[in-house]
Amino acid sequence: MSINVTNEYKELVEALEKNGADASKYFDKRVASIIISGNRVIGLNNVKGVKLTPTQIENGVKVDMEIEEGTILPIPIHVCTGYVEKKGLQNIVFNIRIRKNAKVKFTAHCVFPQVEEFTHNAISNVIVEEGAIMEYADEHFHSDLGTINLRTITNAKVEKGGIYKNSFTLTKTRVGKLYVEMNLDLGEEASGELVSKIKGTKDDSIEIKEALNLNGVRSRGIAKSTVVALDETKANIVNIAYGNAPYSFGHVECNEITKGDKVDVKTEPILKVVNDLAELTHEASIGRVNRRQLETLMAKGLTEDEATELIIKGILQ
Amino acid sequence: MLKLENISYKAENKIILRDISMEFEEGKKYAILGVNGAGKSTLGYIIMGLEDYKPQTGRIILDGEDITNLPIYERAKRGITLVFQEPPRFEGISIGAYLTLGGKIKIEKAELENILETVGLSPKLYMSRKVNGSLSGGERKRVELASILVLKPGYAILDEPDSGIDIMSLEMVNNVLNYIASHGGTPIIITHREEMAENVDFAYHICNGVVLHKGKATEVIEEYKKECGICDHPNAPEKNEKAMTSKEKEEVSK
Repeated sequence: MSINVTNEYKELVEALEKNGADASKYFDKRVASIIISGNRVIGLNNVKGVKLTPTQIENGVKVDMEIEEGTILPIPIHVCTGYVEKKGLQNIVFNIRIRKNAKVKFTAHCVFPQVEEFTHNAISNVIVEEGAIMEYADEHFHSDLGTINLRTITNAKVEKGGIYKNSFTLTKTRVGKLYVEMNLDLGEEASGELVSKIKGTKDDSIEIKEALNLNGVRSRGIAKSTVVALDETKANIVNIAYGNAPYSFGHVECNEITKGDKVDVKTEPILKVVNDLAELTHEASIGRVNRRQLETLMAKGLTEDEATELIIKGILQ
Repeated sequence: MLKLENISYKAENKIILRDISMEFEEGKKYAILGVNGAGKSTLGYIIMGLEDYKPQTGRIILDGEDITNLPIYERAKRGITLVFQEPPRFEGISIGAYLTLGGKIKIEKAELENILETVGLSPKLYMSRKVNGSLSGGERKRVELASILVLKPGYAILDEPDSGIDIMSLEMVNNVLNYIASHGGTPIIITHREEMAENVDFAYHICNGVVLHKGKATEVIEEYKKECGICDHPNAPEKNEKAMTSKEKEEVSK
């Protein structure tokens, strides 16, 4: 990999490692990877079967990612998006196409260690072709000021027999103002999973919309959100499933753990069936940490705060 | 020594425990025997100090200190602990992390493995598993028993330790009792099964919220078998008139 902006690279690596990631494993030449800082690509590595093609756009970068038919990658592709300045705007567009029967995982890190007035807009357009499998694990690390404004939208389409899994995790730093939207269209016998895990503190604001469109016969999908809302966090989670095809099955689930007199949280499951052979289910809960769990840990000598911390840590694993 | 002095507890206008006094000496093994609904678990919760289980009267004395108003974790820090009959699950926490309270308890790996083996769990198979819904009720119970062995407690209240566990449970529970005692602790089994109390030194039989018998475990077990084996009203055996209010006596006679 050629690194052309050494300082920015170092800052991003330090921020990653500060949050517990082992950055060294991502910068091996056997790992397909792209590192974006601001509106520039500062690192790029393609491996056999993977074509990552970046283009500079206004205030950001567009990357076309194509995985060739039948490619099976033993090591996840690493995508690192960072911003090392304090103020600014970053626009990111990923167009991802996983060709037939390919199997690939992505490990994505979004690192904004010192931003103060910063907006990050990300749009991912994903196509998983017939029989292909794609997993995308996206973890965010923001600054401690909580002033970031982040919007991330994913539109994914999974063709016959394909599998798509997407997880969004933001649990180790302040959130700021966050909007996450995931729209998943599932074709015949396709399956998909959308997972969000977020911890809000102070006056963070969290908005999540996850939608499953079960368009294909025997398609299956799950959308699951877990939000821990502390202090004065505001959270609004909408999980949607549309059962549009016979024998399709969808499940939406939202669990919100609250702690703090001023939290303001809401969850709304929306299920709509337009084919009477489709089946949809939902689960939702909002509330404090389970009392019996707390008492079990407190009976071992942990204070209520220590017990709560351990429980939340587990939930957000 | 842990002493309960004249503990009474009422919930929703129903008397659950009346004037209970007990003593637990260090290094001995105890059982609190009684049929379902006798008030055994409630007594355990009161000793542990759970939020909704504050006695209306009476005191709990630990080594001369009145701990009646101490919160759970303060009692735990003084060596008292409790295994719930149905311990909860914890998402995302591995058994290894659970046993050490997220790394808070420092313990040698070999000792941790030995503890898991004591409760009948293979360290190799279980250390990394999560304490979540993937565990059966019996496995979860064994993990909970292991977790209190790690603490080396002074007084360990085990609420129905065999419930949900397979036929080999008696031997495993005895191993747990012996482990606690061998580390200087005092196990207190809460059970409705007399065979679970056969391996202890001293027992209390409670019924309808009062102590009916106390003494050597073998003697109390005999009394328990005699009285509760034939009782058609599990929480108000005919002989236990002092445990009943006049209204209850009237209901039983009907």
